[in-house]
Amino acid sequence: MQLFFDQFMNGIGAGVVFASVALALVIIYRTTGLLNFAQGEMALFSTFVAWWFTDRGLGVVAALLLTIVVSFVGGAVIERVLIRPVENSKSPLNVVIVTLGMFLAINALAALIFIKPGQEALQMPLLFPDGKTLGMQTATLGRAGILVAECVLLYLLLQKTKLGLMLRAVASNPESSKLVGINPGAMLMVGWAIASSIGAVAGVLAASRGTGSFDTSLMQQVLVYAFAAAALGGFDSPLGAVVGGLVVGVANSLTIQYIHALEGIELVVPFGLILVVLLVRPNGLFGRNVVERV
Amino acid sequence: MYRSRTARSVLLVLSVTLVAASCGSRDSGGGNSNAGGGGGNGSNTIDTANCPDSATAGISGGTITLASSFPQSGLTAAFAQISKGYKAYFAAQNDKGGVSVAGKKYQIKVVDKDDEYTASKTATNINSLVGDTGTKAFAVFNVVGTANNVAIRDDLGTNCVPNIFAATGSPITGDPNHPWMIGSTLAPYTLEIKTYVDYLKKQKPNAKVAMLLQDDDFGQAYKEGFTQAIKGTKITLAQSKTYQAGADDVSSQMTSLAATKADAFIDGATLLACPNALKAAKTSGWNPITFVSGTCISKTLMGIAGADGDKVLSATNIKDPQNPAYANDAAMKDYRALLAKFGAKDVDPDNGIVAYGYTQAAIFVKVLEGLKTLDRPTLMDAMHAISPMTDVGLLVAGVEVHTAADDPYLAEDVQMVQYDAKGSHFVNVGDVIDYEGKTAQFTPKDLISG
Repeated sequence: MQLFFDQFMNGIGAGVVFASVALALVIIYRTTGLLNFAQGEMALFSTFVAWWFTDRGLGVVAALLLTIVVSFVGGAVIERVLIRPVENSKSPLNVVIVTLGMFLAINALAALIFIKPGQEALQMPLLFPDGKTLGMQTATLGRAGILVAECVLLYLLLQKTKLGLMLRAVASNPESSKLVGINPGAMLMVGWAIASSIGAVAGVLAASRGTGSFDTSLMQQVLVYAFAAAALGGFDSPLGAVVGGLVVGVANSLTIQYIHALEGIELVVPFGLILVVLLVRPNGLFGRNVVERV
Repeated sequence: MYRSRTARSVLLVLSVTLVAASCGSRDSGGGNSNAGGGGGNGSNTIDTANCPDSATAGISGGTITLASSFPQSGLTAAFAQISKGYKAYFAAQNDKGGVSVAGKKYQIKVVDKDDEYTASKTATNINSLVGDTGTKAFAVFNVVGTANNVAIRDDLGTNCVPNIFAATGSPITGDPNHPWMIGSTLAPYTLEIKTYVDYLKKQKPNAKVAMLLQDDDFGQAYKEGFTQAIKGTKITLAQSKTYQAGADDVSSQMTSLAATKADAFIDGATLLACPNALKAAKTSGWNPITFVSGTCISKTLMGIAGADGDKVLSATNIKDPQNPAYANDAAMKDYRALLAKFGAKDVDPDNGIVAYGYTQAAIFVKVLEGLKTLDRPTLMDAMHAISPMTDVGLLVAGVEVHTAADDPYLAEDVQMVQYDAKGSHFVNVGDVIDYEGKTAQFTPKDLISG
């Protein structure tokens, strides 16, 4: 039983990262209908920025907060400079291809800027101390706490502020929102900025697992799991992303422990889950049906 | 709806691509080694019946051109440090007027390209550096990675271009079907495992062993080597867990392994998964006798492990530049002085893989000096007839480099080493273990000619 519980918590610890990245994916998908394949690498770049701040002597928490701000601006700039020009093209694939280009470019750029020749990895100071609290890894609890805080802030932003209202309005009906004086372009930019900030948190959480060491591969597998999480929860549901992330994390962890036949192909389990969910609920667990007026 | 359906199908396709991409193999490289010299005696000659007429291609105006391909950017760019070791050594030789082969002095020039550890890029690079017919470079030197060497061995074999000191611990370097390839002093993975099992036989004859393995050929070599090594002993495998190449987080695997409470743990992981596994073991309150892969004993990776890596064992045959016991060692002093004079600006002499690269160059030069004529078949024959040489480069004292026609493995003597976390270096444990000529015997056939 202790083993089951330990593995369950390992799953939560990993799931928190998947959930955060999935949340960022969902924010962009809701406002733009676009899947951002570069989300993981944007988060990676943010992680390097956070590391850079810690390397300059800043505490890890202060570095994280600063990075969130920097990422917010960076996300907005990316939307304005790279996404906006192709956004109105006829095929949605054009934007997808731009994000794929960013996937490669941002990764290479991060390595170029932050990694010195011969360096195998960088080390992020740990966010939480080693050890146990209430029989659980303190770090896992802390990470879960950060996810909760992230969700609460996002909820307050989207549901309780005027900005959130405008964001939701653009997501639900860009043309009508234009008529009431909302600038959809600005809102798309804000959407990217928020997603980028959430990604920064995800990246730092990912880096501070285990020994705190990370390299440019940090987010590559995470992105696959995050897509799985978002598909599971529904691409337009932030709640779904979080639940999806945790489910995928726990499923993966329990598979490693209990299903020896799937050794080495643990990914089958989350993808199997997605398949089942999409068969029963094509829009994911928490997704809404899209109704279009003809 | 159109949009979201397109999006979803694109997502699916790309997810699969990403999974595939993230599963690229990333073994080999670490910091092992062993050397020997000599010259071809011509008793066992390589078959040149189908070779093109290019035995001396790549030598012109007193310069021998060597081609190489290794990661210089991306995740595994750290392997590029190996080249800084051998390039400095060659530069020093060139400065002295060159390497003396069959009565003539030759300069050594290395041309290389970045392959980011991707085997298909290695093939393209080597093809462009060596040429379609293998005439632009004399030999290929120290290409890093198992898959990368496999990707080039057929073409090089067809053109009869020597592929010298392939930087991988995979036993495939000894495949008799590919006589134009020879491995470096990195101890074959199966030999490394044998060393650990033999250590356990003495220290804990009834040991139950847990293993963490990468989910590819690299992990497979450890697993099969282990299964073969424990035959006839009382040592048993408690459990093995794999992780995907490219994954850093192995906490679930480690929780599982720790729950076995095995007496010994073989951490067969490489890159960041390796120190993460050591930390996870400590966090779980599990304190087995721990061995780490020879690919994990680099300064960076063990530095990350820190106190969690204290007392872990591994095997090597190269002197650890950080070990203070070697501070006054003559070979180590030469190494540091040479790097200071001829090394690249960003070379880190403390890094074990630089010492490894330096040692490969030293062995290569010794073999060259022993040649009666300078051509490709003679070089390959000499590579397969290295009479025992010791104390070359930074080989641990007592380690012999020795090959024969039926024994293509250079490095079959290993030194057990143990990590001292306080001093951030490895110290030698016991004497050099002599497995000369036995790699093939310890290695399941399918791993050599698989």
